[in-house]
Amino acid sequence: MQLVGFPVVAGIVLLAFVANAKKSAHEKLNNPIRMASFAFSLVLFGYTTAMFFNSFANITTDGVAFNNYTFHDSYEWFPALGIHWTVGLDALSFPMVWLTTFLLPVTIIATWHEKNGATYFPTLLLMGGALIGVFVSLDLFMFYVFWELTLIPMFFLILNWGGKDRKYASQKFFIYTFTASVVMLLGLVTLYLMQPDQIGTGGKYGTMTGRTFDIPTLVESATLANQDGWFMGESMQKVLFVMLMLGFLVKLPAVPFHTWLPDAHVQAPTGGSMLLAGVMLKMGAYGMFRLPLSMFPHALQHFQLALMIFGMVSLVWGAIVCLGQTNLKKMVAYSSVSHMGVILIGIATMQPMGWAAALFMMFAHGIISPMLFAVCGAFKHHYHSMEIGAMRGMAKHSPWLATSMMFAWMASLGLPLLAGFVAELMMLIALWYFIDLEGWSVLWMIGPALVLALTAAYYLWSMQRTIFEGGDETQPPATLHGDPVPDITNEEKIAMLILAAFTILFGVMPWIGLDMMDDYCRTFFEHMISNGIFKGGA
Amino acid sequence: MSETQAFSNEFYSALLPEMLLFAGLIALILIPNLGKGTFRIPGTQLRLPWFLGGQRFGLTSNPRLPAWIATITLAGAFAAVLDSLNGGVESLLVVSSDSDAAKELLMVNGFSRVFELIFFGALALASFASMNRLKVEGTGGKLTEDQLFNNRRQADFYILMLTCGLGMSVVALAQDLFVLFIGLELASFSTYVLVAFMKESKTGSEAGMKYFIVGSVASGVGLYGLSMLYLWSGSLQFDALALAFAETGTEPLPLIGIGFVLVGFGFKVSAAPFHFAAPDAYAGASSPVAGVLATASKAMGMVGLIRMLLIVAAPESSDGSAVWLVAIGALAALTMTWGNIAALGSTNPKRMLAYSSVAHAGYMLAGLTAIGAWTWDPSFAGQEGEAALLVMTALMFHLLVLVAFKLGAFLVLSILENDGDSSRLSSLGGLAKREPLLAFAMFIFMISLAGVPPMAGFLSKLMVIMGIVNVGVGSGINSFGDLHWVWWLALLMVLNSAISVFYYLRVAVVMFFEAPEKGREGPLPSGWQVRASIFICVAATILLGVFGDSVLEMCRDAAESLTTKW
Repeated sequence: MQLVGFPVVAGIVLLAFVANAKKSAHEKLNNPIRMASFAFSLVLFGYTTAMFFNSFANITTDGVAFNNYTFHDSYEWFPALGIHWTVGLDALSFPMVWLTTFLLPVTIIATWHEKNGATYFPTLLLMGGALIGVFVSLDLFMFYVFWELTLIPMFFLILNWGGKDRKYASQKFFIYTFTASVVMLLGLVTLYLMQPDQIGTGGKYGTMTGRTFDIPTLVESATLANQDGWFMGESMQKVLFVMLMLGFLVKLPAVPFHTWLPDAHVQAPTGGSMLLAGVMLKMGAYGMFRLPLSMFPHALQHFQLALMIFGMVSLVWGAIVCLGQTNLKKMVAYSSVSHMGVILIGIATMQPMGWAAALFMMFAHGIISPMLFAVCGAFKHHYHSMEIGAMRGMAKHSPWLATSMMFAWMASLGLPLLAGFVAELMMLIALWYFIDLEGWSVLWMIGPALVLALTAAYYLWSMQRTIFEGGDETQPPATLHGDPVPDITNEEKIAMLILAAFTILFGVMPWIGLDMMDDYCRTFFEHMISNGIFKGGA
Repeated sequence: MSETQAFSNEFYSALLPEMLLFAGLIALILIPNLGKGTFRIPGTQLRLPWFLGGQRFGLTSNPRLPAWIATITLAGAFAAVLDSLNGGVESLLVVSSDSDAAKELLMVNGFSRVFELIFFGALALASFASMNRLKVEGTGGKLTEDQLFNNRRQADFYILMLTCGLGMSVVALAQDLFVLFIGLELASFSTYVLVAFMKESKTGSEAGMKYFIVGSVASGVGLYGLSMLYLWSGSLQFDALALAFAETGTEPLPLIGIGFVLVGFGFKVSAAPFHFAAPDAYAGASSPVAGVLATASKAMGMVGLIRMLLIVAAPESSDGSAVWLVAIGALAALTMTWGNIAALGSTNPKRMLAYSSVAHAGYMLAGLTAIGAWTWDPSFAGQEGEAALLVMTALMFHLLVLVAFKLGAFLVLSILENDGDSSRLSSLGGLAKREPLLAFAMFIFMISLAGVPPMAGFLSKLMVIMGIVNVGVGSGINSFGDLHWVWWLALLMVLNSAISVFYYLRVAVVMFFEAPEKGREGPLPSGWQVRASIFICVAATILLGVFGDSVLEMCRDAAESLTTKW
């Protein structure tokens, strides 16, 4: 259906752009390519928005039921191995697809004036195409293919347009995430081959292997098998769960697998960072929901404590490290680690509300963190420095940048009526409820409570040092060498305004996105409970 | 399966590719020698023109001619194989012509056809690309003696290419260990000379010498093993050996014999610890030849291993796994890890590719180990070969696509060799600025070698992993502890792939983001033939990764023709 056109058209047209741009790397091409990329991303954005209003805005609970997909379609690719490019959207993937298409034009606007050459914008679009591919693919093989494909444009984004240590950062990024995902690949292959051999069935089953890569089919048979026992057997389910989770935890990233993230972020260009933080990190959480949580609920229950610890450690460690950062971008990168901890905790509560909080956190962080990175990028772009303490009292010189920074920082620390608050509040409620229900120690609340304070501390402190302190004696960054201090450009202002507007929109009216996420999680749990997989709960 | 005698009509039509090669060989010897030579009838002044020797004609004196003859011959043989693969291959057994005790000599079936495809494809691309690698010193005017000699040796190079192809295809066809050995030696001796052919560089002759000495020791050990096998069974026919092995295979004599034979093949596939000559040979040889060593020659060694391990010392179908299981499994683990770790430390791109080829040999050995283990799960009984089929298909597909990206990578290096040398990583520096398309091609080859989707290298590696895991998980296994240990080889393999990304990516980084070496900023040496070969490799790497289904089916059919033996 039309949906498949998305990544395909994206891929092909963008590739054509890149090839075009490569032949004549003239300055002249820069503007038309930028305009074309922008127009194309706007079309994509319009398309997904229309999809939202036509299908997802008024969707009923049935429509987003667990393992039910809209725009479900399938294309045969490698019949010998049972590989079909099955696509489909549900309340889990649609917000992510929309987010990707939303961020693409915003990213292009925010980096409108960066002198990156003609290949930069098409690379961003390619990145978007690969990301959409991850979210729409309902086939293990295609999911993995797109999962790895996202690495290549991001590798080049960092390597080509990154900072001083870009070589180190891009290679570390690639190798780190690749290592985790090959382990995940082995898990996927083992999962694939552990299915009973149905050779000769045809259809979704390979003509050579007799197994299928189709996720809906797998989830269905997993749910059936999980009703009275463990899908794939107890120890096998645990091992597969760990192998898959390893790939996703590194991507997320959770402490202690997070060390690639600050390097990648600090060195990446602004556009790369915006997409990396906005969407790419969410691939990890998305993958968790799509595969291990759907297929291995028993293993999830088994590893609940471990996940909770991973989440808590990420949350707290990320926040503590933030306090010590002198580089704005590094601080924001670690704050991402901290926020990803929220997602993990939400998942570990195994409550519908916790999961909905995780889903909404994925979405809200996907809007807020690009703004954080856009602000950092503006600092880098205009002041050639992102050191906290290299400048003071910037609010006087550049009110727009200071306001954007303040807004983004506030949104990220969870100010009520902004999108991040909703997710954090839900997570806290879910955690309380869970602790109460399962009789865990109240001490588990210390982490989130501590982090609420820490987050406020590092954000406010960095703001104070950068834009407020100094009174009348402001200190422009030394890297400007006494030149007049510029404010951000009009394009950057537009990008900030758009991001801010959506942050407010989803903070004031979270139900636009939250409704379907909530329905999804509820039906997920109803499904599991009615099948006797979970004991019961809220 | 039909049967025919050697040198019958059927024999000739089935062996059309080899016959083409033979014809090309004769043409290569004769045509460059055609000239205005005359023959004086003794005792008279009468000179009869006899067209051999003397001053050459314009066309036959063209030093490019041998290259064209060889390339067209190899491409023709490739096309003939492809044509016969199209629509399924009828198995044809060639037996010797003595009617009372007919010996099986050659077998033409899907299996041998696919390997012929690999050999001829790699050799055709390599000889096409060598047109730009081997210097030609002017074609017209007065040439010095040195220049003349240089032009003359063009023919030698391509004759060796063809004999190499002939020997390799005999290996793929052989049904008798001795026939196989003759083919192996024909191909080996050709490659020894080919490696040393670059007499302009010191490393060339050193590499050739090393490769020759180590190679002939390996061959000698193999031959010794062969004689032990003959002593034990009284025959070198695969069928006879397999029968004898089923009866008394666990005696020390055959085991030692097979072990020695494996040394010979292990050298060919450059499995650790028999790989020591490989990096030197690859680094010293001209890049297209190194590419042939890493693809066609390796495939030839794999044929030998497959024949020895899976046909002669076949896994027992009822009780227990193959006797060699642990040994080959350990060899696989050692080879892939050693290759990757050594590649991490090498700064010479050709040595890096050589070690990466060692690592790839390890992956393929892991696949073979899995086939050896497929009888471990009793539920496989009755469907012998089902589980092995997937691995076998994967191995053949892997060897086939390896030609595209491994040889392609060497061909890119061969352009740089013409430019000066390619023995340092920095010689790749700034390639993206000097020739963006070439850098793009190299990048595709590197990520395909690393196994990044959607390149062919990903699909083939995935297939090998799938094959191993398929055997490892058996059927109806529910506990992780019950998995066969070959599953761990798959884990080691994916971890090794992750290590390998590091050195493959390093090449990309140098190409795109480092300045060219001093004095090498200008455009690269011209030569459309090598670029055309590289283009074919890039296209194959991408297309086989994305639309490889029909080729996969072809490999499956080919694998079936081997596994139905069980």
